[in-house]
Amino acid sequence: MSVLPFLNWLGSSALANAMNGPEWAFPVVECFHFFGFALLIGTIAIVDLRLLGTGMRRQSPAELTQDLKPWTLSGLALMLTTGPAMFAADPRVYYFNPSFRFKIACLLVAILYHFTFLRRAVRPDVPPVLGKLAAVVSLALWIAVVGGGRMIAFV
Amino acid sequence: MSLLSICEWIQNTDLSTAIREGALYYPIIGGVHLLAIALFGGMLLAVDVRLLGWGMRRRAVSDVVGQLRAWKRFGFVVVVASGALLGWAEPLKLYHSKSFWIKMALLLMVGVHALVFRPTVYGNSTRLDEAPSMPAVAKLAAALSLILWAGLVLSGRLIAFDS
Repeated sequence: MSVLPFLNWLGSSALANAMNGPEWAFPVVECFHFFGFALLIGTIAIVDLRLLGTGMRRQSPAELTQDLKPWTLSGLALMLTTGPAMFAADPRVYYFNPSFRFKIACLLVAILYHFTFLRRAVRPDVPPVLGKLAAVVSLALWIAVVGGGRMIAFV
Repeated sequence: MSLLSICEWIQNTDLSTAIREGALYYPIIGGVHLLAIALFGGMLLAVDVRLLGWGMRRRAVSDVVGQLRAWKRFGFVVVVASGALLGWAEPLKLYHSKSFWIKMALLLMVGVHALVFRPTVYGNSTRLDEAPSMPAVAKLAAALSLILWAGLVLSGRLIAFDS
């Protein structure tokens, strides 16, 4: 089955019309996308920096993960609702955009990585060197997601 | 010398032309700007969320404010520096952009916010730990900080949509 009929359907859906309607619709949704990833990536970065031995050192990585979990998840939810809405505004263009594909690939890996490896890396019995490695990979993945996203408009 | 002529002068500098016309400078600087917003904007949110009592309530205010202060400052410098470079590339466009001037007004208010609330809130976090409940001034500072931050992101994004 081809994905094109779906893209065509999405591109003429009510959501697409709303996103392409008033001039301010897209940039405003985009801003909420920014708020979402600031929450998501900012709170993950606090944990990553802690794993690297800097930042909030008076708390353990596991404590920080637990403290920030509702905010990380809220950011993820906000990002995963505003992102598809932006995609709906012009599905065919995004689908064939190499930066978009790169970004989505990195995003899927980053989310999977976060809920599997990183969640384990914050445990107290993990050797610090492995925690550091896990943190570097996490930061690199999220940087790739944001960088890829920024490049969508330029390729 | 008018502001407009200063903008024209900036626009004609080599640096401005290089960022504007080079294929990669603009998106890369824009990416750094965005990343710094993500990484350090998120830390700012964490501090404000703690002051408002919406999260991290098991941690002392001084722990959250004190330990994230250096990173927030570092992030602020990166955001302002990368933003200044982006602005340097197209001063004439910005001169005519309403959103840009709104953004600069908000940035000025960030400075005022820091001056007003540092003595009582951000520079006074150990006293906040001892307070039986979060003082209204701390909550006000956090709420205003969130509003300013959201306003800066929104007005910044709208610059690209100003015709």
